[in-house]
Amino acid sequence: MPQTITEKILSRVIGRAVTPGEIIYPEPDLITTHDWYVVNFDSALQALGVDRLYAPEKLLISTDHEPVAVSRQAAERQHAVRAIVRKYGIEHFYDVGRGGHGHIFPMELGYVAPGMLVLAYDPHVTNYGAVGCLGVSLVVEISEVLACGSAWIRVPDTVRVNLQGTLQPGVTVRDVAQRMIVDLGSDLVDYTVVEFGGPALAAIDVDRRMTLCNTPVEIGAKSSLFETDQITEAWLKPRIGDRFEHIRSDPGANYKAAIDYGLGLIEPQVAAPPTPDNVVGVSTVAGTKVDYAFIGSCANSSLADLRDAARILRGRKVSAGVRLIVTPGTQQIAAEAAAEGLVKVFIDAGAVLTAPGCGPCAGGRIGPLAPGEVSINTGTRNDPGRLGPRDAIYLASPLTVAASAVMGRISDPREFVH
Amino acid sequence: MELNYRGRCWKFGDNVGVDGDMMPLEFALQRETRLDVLAPYAMTGLDPDFPQKVRSHDIVVGGKRFAQGNPHIQGLLGLAAHNVGLVCESIPRGSLRNALNAGLPLLPACPGITQRLESGDELEVDFRSGRVRNLTQNWEQTFDPLPAALLDIILAGGWQPALKRRVEEMLARGAAQPT
Repeated sequence: MPQTITEKILSRVIGRAVTPGEIIYPEPDLITTHDWYVVNFDSALQALGVDRLYAPEKLLISTDHEPVAVSRQAAERQHAVRAIVRKYGIEHFYDVGRGGHGHIFPMELGYVAPGMLVLAYDPHVTNYGAVGCLGVSLVVEISEVLACGSAWIRVPDTVRVNLQGTLQPGVTVRDVAQRMIVDLGSDLVDYTVVEFGGPALAAIDVDRRMTLCNTPVEIGAKSSLFETDQITEAWLKPRIGDRFEHIRSDPGANYKAAIDYGLGLIEPQVAAPPTPDNVVGVSTVAGTKVDYAFIGSCANSSLADLRDAARILRGRKVSAGVRLIVTPGTQQIAAEAAAEGLVKVFIDAGAVLTAPGCGPCAGGRIGPLAPGEVSINTGTRNDPGRLGPRDAIYLASPLTVAASAVMGRISDPREFVH
Repeated sequence: MELNYRGRCWKFGDNVGVDGDMMPLEFALQRETRLDVLAPYAMTGLDPDFPQKVRSHDIVVGGKRFAQGNPHIQGLLGLAAHNVGLVCESIPRGSLRNALNAGLPLLPACPGITQRLESGDELEVDFRSGRVRNLTQNWEQTFDPLPAALLDIILAGGWQPALKRRVEEMLARGAAQPT
């Protein structure tokens, strides 16, 4: 039987051919959780009478939600996390100053390979799909994986999206990601894996593939991933060497739907409150005054994203009365951004950089909003209250956020980028 | 625990929100999971009298994307606290997992069913076979039931009791031999 990428991965993991819809208990190749779900899983295991992990060598923990503790509570939690890491003998622990964002740096460091299955606490583990890996979030049920080695998942159907055409100037993959979840719709992608392929892949690098893999989960997709190609190979080979193998769906594989998706007509998109799929063209909300801008999060904190922002910020100043926070995704990205001179561009523009990780997007523990303030940012979600009481969060591309920060109001980046 | 419920229909529309419609958001933010605390607030965003009027083994019927939104478990626990069953046209995956975690019997994929019944209808639902009977309007229809592995979680009383049982079996076998 011809198989999709997802069916191939799950079949390998459980040792027989899977069928969409069936319930399986797969043992993942890697497990991830972050600093806000370590004390909790430890408590869950203690309540069960479990005093060791089923496979501690598979668990990777990253301190990305609150890397620099900004409260005594956070400092005490970090202290507790370090003790728990020692207690269970967890080798792959990336504390503040080591890795950065747990949905990004494991790819940089060679933990993630095409064809792997990763089970995680956090929903945006789907980023790993950028290199052909299936990442699935189980939220609190990750405790079951830690205790028993597996947890149930339903083998999903796949929706194939063939990307075609070329982006217009001033339009980025973030705009595509936002527009696409509206065009696909939750009825189609619910429970499915969104699989990306098509001729436009040749112009979409791994950084930007993460952005596309980040978003479908917001409307109910189980995960999202790219088939591998020469771009994947060139990016991963130096990191994982001979462990690199291509993974693609078989000809004739059974998709729930196969859609040709054109990039050429897409304009800059903004997701207005209250949900990430409340998406409009930038002109609809242009002129809305903003107090606060942020470039970062697991959706948009790659070197490509920082370069985009710097294209607009170079030689310009953030508008008076607006604060702009930039959070590089990882330690490596921060170092490369410094080496390229991007950090100087941001500082000269009047922006401030925070420690690599989630930045303010993780519930506003770092850099929250005052009541009633308006933010435009590249975060993952815009639920009311995410960054502060009575906030209003608009989600957009790094170009649109940088342009808006300069103008002090939501602005079309095409006025800056020709 | 038997999985055949007979009771009255409580019909709701499409896009019922897990936060707000099914349960005030504050309980999710507080990570409140005590059933006796949540029960008086179940579905009150849509029907303030629901907790007073609902009876054990009544059936909540939802449209598309029932329990949509951030996958908080509190709205599903609110239903489980009243010992009702759930039948819906569709439910997002996070809320499906939470329904199982809450031990709430459900039929998660019953397309078109909201067109065929009204609140107050007398229903009989067999969650094991997927058969729904409307005794008021005199029809029956069979939908896909949950797979057996997921029915087992409901029969155990939800995810935590099911996990506890799995861990006990694992430890009894010797911890080196998990399933």
